[in-house]
Amino acid sequence: MNAPVSTPEVYDCFTEEVPAADIKLETKNLEFFYGKGRALHGVNLQFKRNAVTALMGPSGCGKSTLLRALNRIYALYPGQRAEGSIMLDGADILDSGVDLAKLRSQVGMVFQQPTPFPMSIYDNVAFGVRLYEKMSKADLDGRVEQSLRRAALWDEVKDKLNASGQGLSGGQQQRLCVARGVAVQPEVLLLDEPASALDPISTAKLEETIVELAEDITIVIVTHNLQQAARISDNAAFMYLGRVIEFSDTEKLFNNPRSTRTADYITGRFG
Amino acid sequence: MFDKRARRKLSNGLFVGFCTFAAVLAIAALAAILISLLINGAAGFNLDVFTKDTPAPGSTGGLRNAIVGSLMLCLLAMIIAVVVGILAGTWLAEYAGRNRWTQAYGAVIRFVNDVLLSAPSILVGLFIYYLLVKNTIGHFSGWAGAIALALLAVPVVVRTTEDVMRLQSKQLRESGVALGASLWTTIQKVLWRAASGGIITGALLAFARISGETAPLLFTSLNNQFFSLDMGQSIANLPVVIFNFALSAYDDWRRLAWVGSLLIAGAVLFINILVRVLSKEPRRS
Repeated sequence: MNAPVSTPEVYDCFTEEVPAADIKLETKNLEFFYGKGRALHGVNLQFKRNAVTALMGPSGCGKSTLLRALNRIYALYPGQRAEGSIMLDGADILDSGVDLAKLRSQVGMVFQQPTPFPMSIYDNVAFGVRLYEKMSKADLDGRVEQSLRRAALWDEVKDKLNASGQGLSGGQQQRLCVARGVAVQPEVLLLDEPASALDPISTAKLEETIVELAEDITIVIVTHNLQQAARISDNAAFMYLGRVIEFSDTEKLFNNPRSTRTADYITGRFG
Repeated sequence: MFDKRARRKLSNGLFVGFCTFAAVLAIAALAAILISLLINGAAGFNLDVFTKDTPAPGSTGGLRNAIVGSLMLCLLAMIIAVVVGILAGTWLAEYAGRNRWTQAYGAVIRFVNDVLLSAPSILVGLFIYYLLVKNTIGHFSGWAGAIALALLAVPVVVRTTEDVMRLQSKQLRESGVALGASLWTTIQKVLWRAASGGIITGALLAFARISGETAPLLFTSLNNQFFSLDMGQSIANLPVVIFNFALSAYDDWRRLAWVGSLLIAGAVLFINILVRVLSKEPRRS
């Protein structure tokens, strides 16, 4: 990834600070490397507690890379590394001593393609819970129901909890993945273009779910869909070539973009 | 003088005709083998085959000891092959990429495995003969036979396991890890389950491969005229019995060799049908 000839416009950043008391998650000078290639350049972003933050930008701008740094899922792959710091409630999750399993139970993730596990709907939701919590059957039943309700899937599956999760429709599968992520009671939920494989009706349902979840979960969503970002996010960041170009209140970013690059992107002139 | 179109039509017809002829020839040969196997095998087929042991020349008998022996040898071999093969295949697919050293080691394992995949089975028999029969155990035994068969089955299981594990989506793997499970837990609880159809298919194909192997058993388990469940001794088995009986001068022995061949062919056919059924199971798109 070679940075193009630097023009002042590209590197001008317009970011607003989130009040310190509202910050749940924050990146400081975050750099990310795929082997020798650098994908993120000094990213400073603040994610507001119990709010939806949208990451936007053209393909290859680093938004998914940033998302994948926030729960350190990249650590599965040798050669990928992050530098700088990512503070979760004031503690740096990039520290070498961090318990990755615990981190990932705090910071959940839902992927672009629905990935139901090859097991029953019930077992899909209970999977993460069973890993770390010992609870009675009744409590687990309660947790499964509560999670499916939060993902707005309960009414559709309550009579077939023992059916395979892979037998559901695409939209239902994606909400099952949300329920599975919510079941471990994370503080942050990362969503990587969760609606890009879904039809409009399923997308609307998923968006509703996301907004409701934000009542007590901090949500970071990567999206290619600008209307979607405008509809559901409180804050939005526009990224380009591994940098944050603009970050502010979503309304402000869409109505009064300060960077011409952002303005071009949201009006559809490029990207 | 043909025009271009007619010439093309003629050459097309010739080529299709030749292909059809070749296909008919191959199928005819196969059919001839199967039909003679069915006729000759069915002629000697009776209850004695399953209830009596291999006879001395001229007396009546069956194949009970050889059938039971073959089942024991193949089952033990498959237990070894499935455990070793699935673990090795999983390591190659999931862990070998970790760093330069494991990558190099993985490449060597994969190469050796591919060589073993096509190694002549008689070499494997000789290897186990020298390693176990001659120098360790000191005599022919069922254990040596099962290990020789396992050596033939392992590469098949390793290869298919690695291939189907690689086919599982990256996001499925990450989904397990993203819920706080370790990679190993994700492999055990999610990936193996997702790949189970392919892994079982590989194991069944390996079973089909070893069920008719004669050469490795000649050097290891050899044969036993009597019924025996003792893996520490020579054990009768269908391939070696067929080999001995088919070359004999006695009609009743030759008849039993046909019956044994029919049994193995039937078992392989059954396994192949099972593989078809299992691999037809609906997959995620």
